[in-house]
Amino acid sequence: MPEFVHTYRNYIKNTRHCDNHFGFDLRRLAGVEPFLHFLYKEWWRVQFTGLDLLPKDGPALIVGNSNGLIPWPAFMLLYALMSQNSPRRLTVVADMDWIEDVRVHSFLVQVGFVPWSSTNLKYLFSKGELVAAFPEGLPATGKPFSERYRVREFDWSRLLPAFEAGVDIYPMATIGCDEALPTLFNAEHLSKLLSLPSFPVTPFFPWFPFPANLGSLPVKWKMTVLKPTAWDDTRGDRDVLVDTARHHTRYIEGQIQAELNRMLRARIKTFI
Amino acid sequence: MAAWTNLKTLGLVDPLRALEKRNPSYFSRYTGLDDEFGFKLETFARWEPIFRFCYEDYFKVDCRGIENIPESGRAILVGNHSGLLPLDGAMITMAMCNAHNSPRRVRYLVTDWFFTLPRVGEWISETGQVRATLENAQKLLERDELVGVYPEGLRGVGKAFPERYRLLDFHPGFVQLAISTQTPIIPVATVGGDEIFPNFVNVKSIGRLLKMPFFPITPTFPWMPFPHMFIPLPVHWLINVHKPIDLGYPPEKANDRKLVLKIAREIQYDIQRDLNKLLRERKSLFTGWDPDET
Repeated sequence: MPEFVHTYRNYIKNTRHCDNHFGFDLRRLAGVEPFLHFLYKEWWRVQFTGLDLLPKDGPALIVGNSNGLIPWPAFMLLYALMSQNSPRRLTVVADMDWIEDVRVHSFLVQVGFVPWSSTNLKYLFSKGELVAAFPEGLPATGKPFSERYRVREFDWSRLLPAFEAGVDIYPMATIGCDEALPTLFNAEHLSKLLSLPSFPVTPFFPWFPFPANLGSLPVKWKMTVLKPTAWDDTRGDRDVLVDTARHHTRYIEGQIQAELNRMLRARIKTFI
Repeated sequence: MAAWTNLKTLGLVDPLRALEKRNPSYFSRYTGLDDEFGFKLETFARWEPIFRFCYEDYFKVDCRGIENIPESGRAILVGNHSGLLPLDGAMITMAMCNAHNSPRRVRYLVTDWFFTLPRVGEWISETGQVRATLENAQKLLERDELVGVYPEGLRGVGKAFPERYRLLDFHPGFVQLAISTQTPIIPVATVGGDEIFPNFVNVKSIGRLLKMPFFPITPTFPWMPFPHMFIPLPVHWLINVHKPIDLGYPPEKANDRKLVLKIAREIQYDIQRDLNKLLRERKSLFTGWDPDET
């Protein structure tokens, strides 16, 4: 802990005004920090571009692509925001109702995850927090390897609070996550039996005993945050608001997909 | 496997007579017309059975939403380009000729490189294609023709196999054209075209040497003797024609670059989204889509 305080002095200074309404715990974050550091710097060697586009303070929403049951891109973004020059705390909104294990649930909440609901989103935006969301939702957690880097349809209705609050939405494209943990197939019978949203079978996942089944391939990751698109402020009119939300969610989805295509085309080697 | 009945008409009958018998409305619509761009019904009639064989028997194309293309009046078809030989255009032409209620020809805008080839250039314009310039496109639209555009351009055809169905950024020229001539845009998503010639590598140096836009290496291409290297894989195709989009901007807006680019991106994202969805629904490369599901 003292070492953490020393290294992340700026982070603690910048986030001392953030509220811990949902149960954020700095000690827990300090506990997993070495692990995140290892993944970010050594294992996946994340190359992050566009971090400086994000606002230094005030509310904003980051929307990205993801895969698998464990939202690794969210953790990497969290670490990147924590260790940059002007650090900020990230709150990730995610579907957490299916997590029945109390320990896992409380761990996620302590690290900065928040159950995804419009009330929570509105609260977070009113407090001026930086929020990340992965709107492909639970069906995309079992996305097979053949569909890698193909974005599933975004649910515009769940991003509606951001449009209501008039918050900037930053698209984020992540390349590497689908190959680090290639989903060979989705075992639907098992997922129903265990009441999980999906059961992605990877080369590691159910096969090895506990710590080793969280393993992943050392793929080089690239993450990009893009500029937010401007839309007309429509906070008054409800019908227009719904229309813009639908329209812009599609546009953001397309932007992320196009950026993924561009990054894949530019990539020469997967592992280096 | 394929039924070869379509090919029986080849060489046995006069192609024009065969077309008149098979497709009277198409024949009566375009017979005796003097076309400025060099369309010849006779050449079209001679080659039509071959491409119809590809369409019906070889690629077994599923065509969805062909009725979205208007029976008359101008329109711009915008699609994703695929397959080293641009067969996707030919397949949409076949769909318009054989599956539509009132058959029409599609005038594709073709890049200059094809017209530098000795015989191919003539053949391309005789079957209805036009050299891609802005004036040509405007002339065609003024005559209420159906113009086909692939805004990815040549780069889109030469996509490598791992990048199949990943759109390159669209050139926004077609939106400018649509706004200035007040034409509806019809997006078309084609699945199947990128797998007929799996393109492993693009050897740029040989391409430059031979003055080709790209030099692909496929399982058959430079290795096999002449006709065999152009035989595509029998992949099951699907062509999904979207609803026409009326942009509804006045012609003066055609010079608003920001707006034009945004609309082009939106159409690109729409097509990419549809491709992702269709690929997810596809059972396998060669059997295609489950007819019961949709």
